Amino acid sequence: MKEDCKKDFERLSEYLDGELDDVICSEMERHFCECPECRECVESMRKTIQLCREAAVEVIPADAKARLRVMLRECIDLNKG
Amino acid sequence: MNEIATDAIDHHLISEFKAGSMPAMEKIVERYEDRIFTFGLKMCGHLQDAEDIAQETFLNAFKYLKDFREETKLKNWLFKIATTACIRKRRKKKCEPDHEISLESFMPQNGDESAYEIPDLSDNPSDSMMRAELKKIIDAAIQSLSHKYRLVFNLRDIEGFSTEETADILGISTQSVKTRLHRARLFLREKISNAYKEGIAQ
Repeated sequence: MKEDCKKDFERLSEYLDGELDDVICSEMERHFCECPECRECVESMRKTIQLCREAAVEVIPADAKARLRVMLRECIDLNKG
Repeated sequence: MNEIATDAIDHHLISEFKAGSMPAMEKIVERYEDRIFTFGLKMCGHLQDAEDIAQETFLNAFKYLKDFREETKLKNWLFKIATTACIRKRRKKKCEPDHEISLESFMPQNGDESAYEIPDLSDNPSDSMMRAELKKIIDAAIQSLSHKYRLVFNLRDIEGFSTEETADILGISTQSVKTRLHRARLFLREKISNAYKEGIAQ
């Protein structure tokens, strides 16, 4: 792996999270234009994060929520007593 | 005097609770239960464990909210409690120690540009079967992450906390958050891509 590629690979997440300064970002983007491996690397990483976020939605069963309410009310009553 | 970090609705509910209103506590639960349950589920992989974590979180919130000084957002405070509950649960189950993820093993080799195949959920929005299959693949990949990486990934990428907020919730440095997040994402990319390719091949 070339030195430039290695450097970008190590800070890929910081780049995607907007945590690097503009000069470094421009430098990386220039490199992505010239390097298909790194371009694929950053794109597949971006898609992975997006996919995980989209698939994160969970439906919590109503009975689990109801049990949480019962527990809380018992605590409140205990506290009052 | 310290600045209040909670949002206006939470601040109002906390003030009401401190003044003795129990319905305010129930409203706080209503506002955050889905997120805490989801976090518990993503951390433990089982609904029963997620339920235990949600109960422990809100029970502790009820106990200690009177002392909460709103120097951090209520959401962050609740996630700090939930994180402690997840760590306690893991200790009780005497799980294997965390495996380190090495950066080198994910470095692409020359000529590797089509190495990863990451599907796009929005390509087939009506294909519920594919969506369900993909969700299984993603959930299994997240579950296979070592605990310390899973914590950071869930807080940062699923819950959307910033690097600084995640560091504060976990009591680790921002550099550790960045390092763990990067490795977790690399690990997940490989796992998801491999599982997806296997699924297509079948």
